[in-house]
Amino acid sequence: MASTISINIVFSGGLELLFGNKRNHSISIPNFVPSDNSTRSTPSSSSSSTPPSDNDVPSTGAGDTKAADLEYLIYHLRDHLLKERPELFMENGTIRPGILVLINDTDWELEGEGSYQLCNNDEILFISTLHGG
Amino acid sequence: MSSCGNPTAEEEALMPRRLKFGKSKVCVKCRLKPGNIVIRHAVYCKECFSPMIDMKFRKALEPSVNASAGTSKRPRLKASGNLCLGFSGGLGSSILLDIVHNTYFSSRLPLDDSGKPRGGTNHPRNASVWPSCIVCYVEVCGTFAGMRDQTEDIRSVIQRYPSFDFVPLRIEDAFDDSWWTTVSGSSSIPRISLELGKEGLIADGLCVASQATGLTPVEALRSYLSSLPTQTAISSAIQNFTRVLILHTAYSRGSSHLLFGTSLTSLSIYLLSSISQGGGYAIHEELQEEWAPVTASSSRLSGALRVVRPLGDVTAKECAVYAWWNDIAVVGRDKQRRAILGIAGLTKDFVVGLEKDYPSTVSTIARTCEKLEPKDAPSGQCRLCQRPMQSGIQEWKGRISIRSFSDDKLAADLTHLPSSSRDNLDTSTPSELPPSLALTNFLCYSCHTTLTSRSSRGVKRSVSDVSSAAPLPTWVADHDLYEERLIGGGGLNKVPEEEMHDIVAEFLIDN
Repeated sequence: MASTISINIVFSGGLELLFGNKRNHSISIPNFVPSDNSTRSTPSSSSSSTPPSDNDVPSTGAGDTKAADLEYLIYHLRDHLLKERPELFMENGTIRPGILVLINDTDWELEGEGSYQLCNNDEILFISTLHGG
Repeated sequence: MSSCGNPTAEEEALMPRRLKFGKSKVCVKCRLKPGNIVIRHAVYCKECFSPMIDMKFRKALEPSVNASAGTSKRPRLKASGNLCLGFSGGLGSSILLDIVHNTYFSSRLPLDDSGKPRGGTNHPRNASVWPSCIVCYVEVCGTFAGMRDQTEDIRSVIQRYPSFDFVPLRIEDAFDDSWWTTVSGSSSIPRISLELGKEGLIADGLCVASQATGLTPVEALRSYLSSLPTQTAISSAIQNFTRVLILHTAYSRGSSHLLFGTSLTSLSIYLLSSISQGGGYAIHEELQEEWAPVTASSSRLSGALRVVRPLGDVTAKECAVYAWWNDIAVVGRDKQRRAILGIAGLTKDFVVGLEKDYPSTVSTIARTCEKLEPKDAPSGQCRLCQRPMQSGIQEWKGRISIRSFSDDKLAADLTHLPSSSRDNLDTSTPSELPPSLALTNFLCYSCHTTLTSRSSRGVKRSVSDVSSAAPLPTWVADHDLYEERLIGGGGLNKVPEEEMHDIVAEFLIDN
């Protein structure tokens, strides 16, 4: 059984500007990740100017793991893919209000939001709705 | 019913999070397929979602297409002029372009199995509702140095819709005589400026001084914006200029309808922001408006310009999903433009945050504003923002602020002041009011507040040998300003500096 899963990430609505102006990304993350969403031990798929931070979620103790979920993915993207302005992507430990998340073309609200467990070859789409009229 | 748990027995008794949708994940429309999107607690599948948005759009727009309502329940749609679309490059206006094109201007005439036009002869696609359509875009890179000009990016988007004519404008056109001549037909345009007080302070009384500034439109625009006291005022000014430029352009080109792609979210943000800046009187016009310039000498064949926001019941989330599922490209805005400062920016953060957890509340903001109506008829149109103007503004401001000491009781309380000072402060009768208040009577409450609000960070100090006058947009200096004797030497006399110094001499602190 593979120890990592491949995820396809798509950014739209101007959000790609925060990720090196690149809309499509393909990343690999471990099947099991720290419960406190710490991304320090996760190899990054591309260089990032934003240092990993675990200030948002308190540590539940060394060794606690969970199946990789969307909540962890958001931290991973912030710490390893985001090039600038992390406050425009994440707020209070979750995705910033105004950013829509689709999991395989389905609203993440229907899939359990951050607790959705990622599967191999999932396509996660982040669209910013903050462009206005 | 979910239980909150027993805090005394369990270490962590957390209340289960309330679902953001109804009981089932099946589409509420077709009740067959699993849902793909949740919109205000209702679940829709991908196939039912787009037609739902199209229907909302037509429901919001079509009742206002025909000049008169008529008696038919489903009248044939026929507008009295052409169509103008306001395009900003944002999400809503990109969707507006696509829906309008597909619904009213598509060259395809899909036929049903019997060979007849699909949708019937009365379907908008099969009859020409508007003979032509122009798309107006206002480039705002002239507001500040270093902003990127996006006109060509926008042009490439419009070119995908061959039925549409692109009309690019620039925000500095507000200070460009040639643009005003084109839209109004006025050939002689006086250049007027807004006289500021000493040291760059916005004066309590606004006056108009006719003088040639010698500035280019971009310089005049930046001079005006830099003279405004707050970031909120700058954001409002840019919005107002954009709106007035598009209104005049659409009207001058014979448009009967002007559509904006304002989503429900953007509309709610704008309504709250406008009310907080004193624009409550014109709230009804923000939802639906029939506009004509004050200077229109006779009514046009196409009548007044109807301003409609057909996406006013479509949230930003719905717009984003619609754009994604229909492959609609969104140009977006420059980084600097996206940073909205002041009250508008704070309101946006609040409403967007509210929409995440309480999506129905955003809709409530717009619906509540729909019910608001001013008590009296407007007394005219504001010179600056061209919105309806409430009567009695200055009288009301006079009642809520101390401007004179003509009240006997108040005068008695001030007996400790030297009599010469008390006399000089008495400005009780209107005929004794300084002429500098003349322009004030032609500004709405919101514009007056915008120009005279005090910045908490202090005021910009102007260089002594540089004129403190800020140029005004060309539409303010209309020909009938001469009739109002605001400019052209019509009986106005500026209060001499020595006289002003004498009035406040007792209160000046020696350096």
